[in-house]
Amino acid sequence: MTHSKIVIRLIELLEGLVPSVDNFDKETALVSDAGLESIQVIEYLCEVEDEFDIVIDEEALSYVNTVGDLAETVLKISGGKS
Amino acid sequence: MSLFEKFSEARALERALMELPVNPTGTIISEVVSATEAIIDGKLKIMAGTNNYLGLTFDTDCIAAGQQALLEAGTGTTGSRMANGTYQQHLDLEAEIADFFDYSYGMVFSTGYSANIGMLTALLNSEDSVLIDSEGHASLFDGCRMSGAKIYRFKHNDPEGLRKRLSRLGKASKDALIVVEGLYSVRGDCAPLKEYVDVKNEFGSYLMIDEAHSLGLYGENGRGLAEDQGVSDEVDFIVGTFSKSLGSIGGFCVSNHPELSLIRYASRPYIFTASPSPSVIATTRQALKKIGSCPKLREVVWSNAKFLHSGLSQLGFQIGADVSPVIGIPFKEREVALNYWQNLFNKGVYTNLILPPAAPDGGSLIRCSVTAAHSKEQISFILDAFEAIKNG
Repeated sequence: MTHSKIVIRLIELLEGLVPSVDNFDKETALVSDAGLESIQVIEYLCEVEDEFDIVIDEEALSYVNTVGDLAETVLKISGGKS
Repeated sequence: MSLFEKFSEARALERALMELPVNPTGTIISEVVSATEAIIDGKLKIMAGTNNYLGLTFDTDCIAAGQQALLEAGTGTTGSRMANGTYQQHLDLEAEIADFFDYSYGMVFSTGYSANIGMLTALLNSEDSVLIDSEGHASLFDGCRMSGAKIYRFKHNDPEGLRKRLSRLGKASKDALIVVEGLYSVRGDCAPLKEYVDVKNEFGSYLMIDEAHSLGLYGENGRGLAEDQGVSDEVDFIVGTFSKSLGSIGGFCVSNHPELSLIRYASRPYIFTASPSPSVIATTRQALKKIGSCPKLREVVWSNAKFLHSGLSQLGFQIGADVSPVIGIPFKEREVALNYWQNLFNKGVYTNLILPPAAPDGGSLIRCSVTAAHSKEQISFILDAFEAIKNG
């Protein structure tokens, strides 16, 4: 799966959790733009992990701010096989 | 950035809190009247926000044991367990806490926080994986982070989520450590330990349970939730604190792994701090005996817990289904929670106010707890205060 396809799926999952005031895109920051509360972050990441059949450790998440960052992390962990 | 510039957010928060009639994070107890009452701001308050579950802080036997130890062994050890800070009483308590849990080995730390940090940093390194409940206590997260291990969170009380994550770890799942609590201290809900044990056994992983808030409350012998759910034999490490049901201070780990003794050589929070003072050890040992000899204490605290839970439910508060001595009352709006807390305080009831980000769901909570020392009249007083505020 390509980075852009992962971004599309990540946005779909995000829209399932929080209403999209502006259209989400790869530049959308998960907390400051999408407004995910701390429990929603956990919920979202669990959904992402289940969707791509991966596990993401805290260290990898420390570099994630935007949807695009998360797509990069997913791509890296899944080895592009997702 | 200057050294103190990073505190600008904390400064703003402090200013906002200082502007309140009473700062919920800065209440000063000028006099402790009993296990359930204190003087705050010059007025008597019923304490409904402590962790003194068995009400042992004023137990005459515990106080006498502490006084005797002060006279016999002095005020402090002045040293580390690895130097001049190991007294026979420390070893006696370690044997007694292991015996209490029916485990082979016990280890005592100076606080519950240092027990969790000390165990996790010693057990784990950067090659290890740890899976932790997303609502675990800060000390558990801090210990995991300080260890350098790969940290994977799973949703609160979700054994299936844990199972999925372990299955994705492949071979690493066999040596992974699972970290959960027994009774969670904010919402007052309990972990499904039996299901966690099933998952652990499926993958051959290790399980650590923090029974800080469940020790003395659950199980036939008061050992905690693992005993209550019949899984004590299958838990690798039980950690906890002496500062709640035992009314003292300190932390511990018990295990059937003989390697627990090696932790003493690897755990910096154990090595590089002074050992618990003799009076603390003495009151802890006495309180531990009380749990065994006075099952009535558990009967009373559970009766009180049911009374408070039932009363708050009848008042229409959306509280969790698990009845426990800890009840978290959720509020969506921070201001509403703050207002409730303030009004309870003004009516003579001290509770805990938990605001984001400390509240687990991004909302706010009032944490209310009862003890074996509360009378039914005191709990009625607490309920009356809630009702009066609710009815405006």
